[in-house]
Amino acid sequence: MRTESNSEKQPLNRAKIMVVDDDPDLRQALSLRLRANNFDTVNVCDGYSAIAMAQKEKPHLIILDLGLPAGDGFAVLKNLQQYPALSGIPVIVLTARDPEGNEKRTLESGAVAFFQKPADNEELLGVIRASLQAGWGWGGALPS
Amino acid sequence: MENGAPHILLIEDNPGDADLVRLRLVEGYSDVHVNCVPRLADALACLEAETPTLVLLDLNLPDSHGAETFRRIMQKVPNVPVVILSGQDDETLAMKAVHQGVQDYLVKGDITSKQLERALRYAVERQGLLRSLEITRRQQLEFKNQFLSHVSHELRTPLTCIHQYVTLLLDGLAGAIAPDQADHLRTVLKSVNQLHAMIRDLLEATRADSGKLRVEPRCIDIGELIQQAVAMMRPTAAEKRIGLEAGLDPSIPLVYADPDRTLEVFINLIDNGIKFTPPDGSVIVTASRVETDPASVYLSVSDSGRGIPQESLPLVFERLYQDPDAVDGNRAGLGLGLYIAKEIVNLHGGRMWVASQPGSGSTFSFTLPLYSLAKLLLPVITLQGRLREALVLVRVELTPLSKSLRGSWKETCQRCLELLRQCIYVDKDLVLPPTGTTGPVETFFVVAATDMNRVTIMMDRIRGQVGALPQLKNSGTLRVTAEIIPGPPAADPRTLEQQVWGVADYVTEIIQQGLAGKQNFTEKEKHKYAHGK
Repeated sequence: MRTESNSEKQPLNRAKIMVVDDDPDLRQALSLRLRANNFDTVNVCDGYSAIAMAQKEKPHLIILDLGLPAGDGFAVLKNLQQYPALSGIPVIVLTARDPEGNEKRTLESGAVAFFQKPADNEELLGVIRASLQAGWGWGGALPS
Repeated sequence: MENGAPHILLIEDNPGDADLVRLRLVEGYSDVHVNCVPRLADALACLEAETPTLVLLDLNLPDSHGAETFRRIMQKVPNVPVVILSGQDDETLAMKAVHQGVQDYLVKGDITSKQLERALRYAVERQGLLRSLEITRRQQLEFKNQFLSHVSHELRTPLTCIHQYVTLLLDGLAGAIAPDQADHLRTVLKSVNQLHAMIRDLLEATRADSGKLRVEPRCIDIGELIQQAVAMMRPTAAEKRIGLEAGLDPSIPLVYADPDRTLEVFINLIDNGIKFTPPDGSVIVTASRVETDPASVYLSVSDSGRGIPQESLPLVFERLYQDPDAVDGNRAGLGLGLYIAKEIVNLHGGRMWVASQPGSGSTFSFTLPLYSLAKLLLPVITLQGRLREALVLVRVELTPLSKSLRGSWKETCQRCLELLRQCIYVDKDLVLPPTGTTGPVETFFVVAATDMNRVTIMMDRIRGQVGALPQLKNSGTLRVTAEIIPGPPAADPRTLEQQVWGVADYVTEIIQQGLAGKQNFTEKEKHKYAHGK
């Protein structure tokens, strides 16, 4: 059994994560896993909706694909920076693209981590938790 | 000929011959520019300034003779057709030139204007054809690489989907499953991981093909890297009851290599060894030095498998090579692993080879350059043939917060290194190349050829500038310490070079101690290799 108890990570429970991916199956699989780990999820399928939904839902963290219709991942990263209320949300990039060239560029564009698909689930969850903790530490940028 | 008047560069040192050829040219063409020079050096200068339609060349010039003459010209302007003017006695050489890419030759004293015009026209045509063939070849190669790269990426998406749902099921997130079902799913997962590894190899090979494979060398402890590779591959070896051991010479100095890529090479060779060794056999990894090549470390992976037939030895590093006798249940990979491994070693300036005795195993060996601290230190720590009075070693340690984010941490460290380089005096201090493998703690060393007072100022600057980096503030802590490097005794009988070696040894030992205390096994790599195979 790989899912671990979250009891000692009380403040992280029920954090809201937005999953941005144009592949519905992947979106669903990731949401299932996140919900099984006590996160709330919001799913969107394109770059435009990502910004709109981020404004409406104010997620605590975003998991972002790079190849997206209506504004790719880089455009989303850039747009998020335009809004003070959204610029502090940690973004984890999860993409089929190569780290070469893309990893550096996404991190420079404000993402906190880069994963190539298929990512190791435990490692991804670890980084999600670490980012949320760090995010809370920054204070003010995230709704409580 | 094509656009307008042809422009011909005539390289001929005999004025009589030159005039005659020029005359024939003018007779043959209604409109032609002829530029005549007597020496190769003049010709090369002309070619630098302007590209002619064609070069007419005498092979024996005052400053160059024979084959060397046309080779130099063709090297300078590979796309311009060259026609040789040969004497009666050097027709053999002229023919040789044609074999090597010269378009044609004409025997002097035997040239009519019609013949000349015709020879030159066809030379230009043929050269154009060759050029377009070369362009097509390059385009096809580029297309092939793009195609492979595109296909590999597209294959990843459905593969990721299978991976996601199989792990969902295996982790019980879609309800409990029976032990048998779990076993079957694990088999699926294993195949998914194999497929993933194949796609990775395909992309790597494509990258190697198009010269996009890169290495980022650091100063590393190769013994530790080998231990890491062995630890990662032990489960795979144990499954087949194969003994996997490392035989390390503890005196091996630090090596200058990309830790991730070198680990990849070891994993690849060990995996290969395990694959071709029957149960109860062994695979041994060794590192040693060879007297005749003091600047390298020699690394090898030997197995007790059935060996490689003599005739296949030259083929194993070829792309897509697969053992024709592979019989057991081991699924062959794509046959790209050894090719990629060799490319990686080549990029480090090393070489890779194989020796094998059918029936008694194979040994794959490769070399990597040793890290030569003395060479780096020499210009910084010496002044007018003497070692500088005071030398200080500054240590800058970056420690990530407990759960730092791997990707951004690597970037942060790189940014810190850039800033660190700005904090030192270029001619008096030296930032050593990054040390260690892939551990979370990053340590940089600066050798400062100065006294403690100025070093204190430098350390304050580092603390201020590097410490203020926003990325670092969010994800880690900075520690800056310094110690004096002991100078040589007052009456030191050693040569300057030996003294520099002494300092290098001292610093190396400190770096090595630092490396030994590090935990460099990241989760990502554990996953990459343990699951990928």
